[in-house]
Amino acid sequence: MVLTLLIFLPLLGGLPLLALNGRPVLARRLALAIAGAELGAMVLVTLRTPQLGVGTLPGGYFLMEDRSWIPTFGIRYLVGMDGISYLLAALTAFITPLAIFTSWRSIREKVGCHFALILLLEGAIMGIFLSLDLVLFYLFWEGMLIPMFLLIGVWGHGNRIRSALKFFLFTFSGSVLMLLGIIGLHLVHLAGGGKATFALPELIGTRFPPGVEGWLCAAFLLAFAVKAPLVPFHTWLPDAHTDAPTAGSVDLAGLLLKTGAYGFIRFAWPLFPHATARLTPLLYVVAVAGIIYGAWIAYAQTDMKRLVAYSSISHMGFIMLGIAAWTPLSLTGSLLQMVNHGITTGALFALVGMLGERAGTREISAFGGLWDRAPFLSGLFLLFAMASAGLPGLNNFVGEFLILTGSFRAAPLVTIFAFTGVVLTLLYTVRLAKLLLFVTPRGDLPLGEISRRELVILGTLAVVALYLGLHPTPFLQLLQGPVGLLTGGGS
Amino acid sequence: MSVADLWSITPLGILGAGALVILLLGAVTPGRYGNSVGVVASLAAAGWALQSPPLAATGTGLVATPFARFFTVLLGVTAALALLISRDWLVRRKMAGEEYPATLLFATLGMVTVACAGNLLLLFLGLEALTFAFYILAAMDRDDPDSAEAGIKYLLMGGVAAAFIAFGLALLYAGTGSLELSSVAPPGRNGLLLAGWGLLLAGLAFKVSLVPFHLWTPDVYEGAPTPVVAFLATGSKSAGVAATLILLGRSGTGFLHHPLWLLACLSMVVGNLAALRQSKIKRMLGYSAIAQMGYLLMALLSGTATGAAASLFYLVVYGAMNLAAFGAVAALSGEGGGDLMDDYRGLGYRAPFRGGCLALAMISLAGIPPTAGFTGKFALFRATLMGGEISLAVVGVLSAAVSVYFYLRVVTALYLRSNEEETPIPAATPASSVALALSAALLLILGVWPGPLLELVEVIMK
Repeated sequence: MVLTLLIFLPLLGGLPLLALNGRPVLARRLALAIAGAELGAMVLVTLRTPQLGVGTLPGGYFLMEDRSWIPTFGIRYLVGMDGISYLLAALTAFITPLAIFTSWRSIREKVGCHFALILLLEGAIMGIFLSLDLVLFYLFWEGMLIPMFLLIGVWGHGNRIRSALKFFLFTFSGSVLMLLGIIGLHLVHLAGGGKATFALPELIGTRFPPGVEGWLCAAFLLAFAVKAPLVPFHTWLPDAHTDAPTAGSVDLAGLLLKTGAYGFIRFAWPLFPHATARLTPLLYVVAVAGIIYGAWIAYAQTDMKRLVAYSSISHMGFIMLGIAAWTPLSLTGSLLQMVNHGITTGALFALVGMLGERAGTREISAFGGLWDRAPFLSGLFLLFAMASAGLPGLNNFVGEFLILTGSFRAAPLVTIFAFTGVVLTLLYTVRLAKLLLFVTPRGDLPLGEISRRELVILGTLAVVALYLGLHPTPFLQLLQGPVGLLTGGGS
Repeated sequence: MSVADLWSITPLGILGAGALVILLLGAVTPGRYGNSVGVVASLAAAGWALQSPPLAATGTGLVATPFARFFTVLLGVTAALALLISRDWLVRRKMAGEEYPATLLFATLGMVTVACAGNLLLLFLGLEALTFAFYILAAMDRDDPDSAEAGIKYLLMGGVAAAFIAFGLALLYAGTGSLELSSVAPPGRNGLLLAGWGLLLAGLAFKVSLVPFHLWTPDVYEGAPTPVVAFLATGSKSAGVAATLILLGRSGTGFLHHPLWLLACLSMVVGNLAALRQSKIKRMLGYSAIAQMGYLLMALLSGTATGAAASLFYLVVYGAMNLAAFGAVAALSGEGGGDLMDDYRGLGYRAPFRGGCLALAMISLAGIPPTAGFTGKFALFRATLMGGEISLAVVGVLSAAVSVYFYLRVVTALYLRSNEEETPIPAATPASSVALALSAALLLILGVWPGPLLELVEVIMK
């Protein structure tokens, strides 16, 4: 029951907020309460599960719910949780209250709807991370687009309508072929003597007639590649990020991009082992291209939000590299890096939002000398910038290290190229930190010190970033079991 | 005439008598009860069909198969909802009277006759009766030249289509010597029969507006009174699909595979691409209807029971989507305005319920979960792939991806844009609110819990 609760608490809890536009204070508190309850439910799962790594249920799940849903088509309400789902669900439950907190004051219009949509988004993303029936997964996968579209389009900045439409059209077009792929896989399974089912555990190991696996796999990969996003399907991301409200950016970077990477790991590789093995060289190229291209373009940005957006593309390239190599070490690194990226990039987007709110601009050239005027804020900015650049002792270092070490064995040359990305990342982050924090102030911007609310947001994220950086062992143990099952090495 | 025969024609009797009573009421209490009596009569016809026992054949030439009863219920409820949507719109446009509900009931009578037809003659009569009623309904708004234009266009095109169908049926009769549905069979290499089928197909393609027989659709959708379009888009399309299913169910689709493939493919591609460029909402919905019928035909192509069942499910979904969309358009357009998509800017906040229904209908038409439009499309694409039509499914799903843009334009206008000048919008009224709430609820329920209806249509088509 607890999995259903995790999915439907924010989905149903968000609905009454739609009617609370006229009562902003109540709407905010209620939204935070629901997100807090969701986090509480996640803590409950943590406490009540003796072994979070690999479970006793088939497929390595430790929680599973299975109900009949649309029997005519063989679609079931099948949700399950293993170490991977647990980690990403925990990330979702952790990021959402912080996202609500970041838009506490900055959203003044249609407050109820704003927080309702954040909660609906949370519910849909939970659904993505927990669904094990392909149609149920697709339902949440597409269902999350509408809340995000409205978040960008209604409360965004600049060219918000164009960016919102671009986001929707890119991700939707990428996904429609996956629907055919899902039905096709179902029919192939049926034709091969299997029963009519869309359940992932039963579809794994389906035997394909020659020539079919590649097409079905391509339909899935396209959907995930657009969402992740991988170069060259990334063009929606900088626009969507730049024009989204702060909470939208935090959710987008922290959670939404992870659903694409999660799709590769949970669905594409296990379902189509031969096709993905054949496509690995292509994916290496795409991953490395993303790492270098993202970093290169980030260096040239003058808008700091856009810079962070391009840095996301670069980081997602690392995650993709780890997935493409598909060794236990690199995959663990990728999964850990998904969480790390959610924490650090989420924090950077929150910081950029805070600075933008104060100064009324996000142009890097308008800032300078922040260190003297707001030391706490600057210190936290530096911390997250360094975490993003992969400084040892902070969270991203662990993930990148594991990815590069794990991939090196599988593809040395690719990993060497990817390593240059680490250097490039350092270049643009140090440049950003220098221009914002240290050069002499170039204008008289109203840059006050950090508020208590902001300190709570950034402080929480900083603690997690440090913890992940200094003591990642519990997370590695958590992932060891499921990753072992996925890569075939056993647990 | 046996009791069973009487039983089977009772829904038709209720509809016909209801229409006559409405006309008589015009003499006694003009402009008061016509609409309500129409709603009651169409719901009564639907209710009767729900409880009446199945009959395979009767002496009247009408049948009461599960298929016929399904359509009677669907069409009766659609007519009732269309009347509820019309009520206050007619008052605002000073068209309230008896002739509108009576004509609408006569149209419903024709539709139900199509669904219950046991021979080709009744099928043709039903199609003609419903089209004839729509000639009048489309031109009903006498003060509006656009309405008159729509009426003329529909009359001309409809007349040609009727001639095609009549000639096609005549050739079938000449070929087989029988008008019974049981004599409908694949034509083989008989030239007479093949010509008949070709004409019949063209005529039916007119009725359900498939490319290249679609040219009337955007013009009539744009010009005809909005509630009339709501009923034209739902009831008339359902009857057209019913006729197609009756005929193709007997003949199979094998010999028509290539023309049907082409019709479905062209409808999806042309409909969705042309809708991209529209700035008027009703015209856009006209092109969207063409594309939606293309999806439906795609599932029928394989000629399997699965495809037919999926198309029945989609007809229910399609009816609810269009009633919600046109109902919201009718409820939001006052004396003038409401034609352009730009007229809907900011209305999502000024009229939350009606705006929400319109947005929900658009999201559902685009096939985005968790709405019925998604489950409906899922059923259609599943049937198509099961029938082995992979290339057509790919064309369909890609054109559906394109369609998201113009459906979202309406959502964008409703919620993302704001209008400086606050054009007056009519107040919400109970009748249209009830119709909108029911359609919207159906869209959500069938989106998350489609199981029972899917099982029902599977049983009907078995």
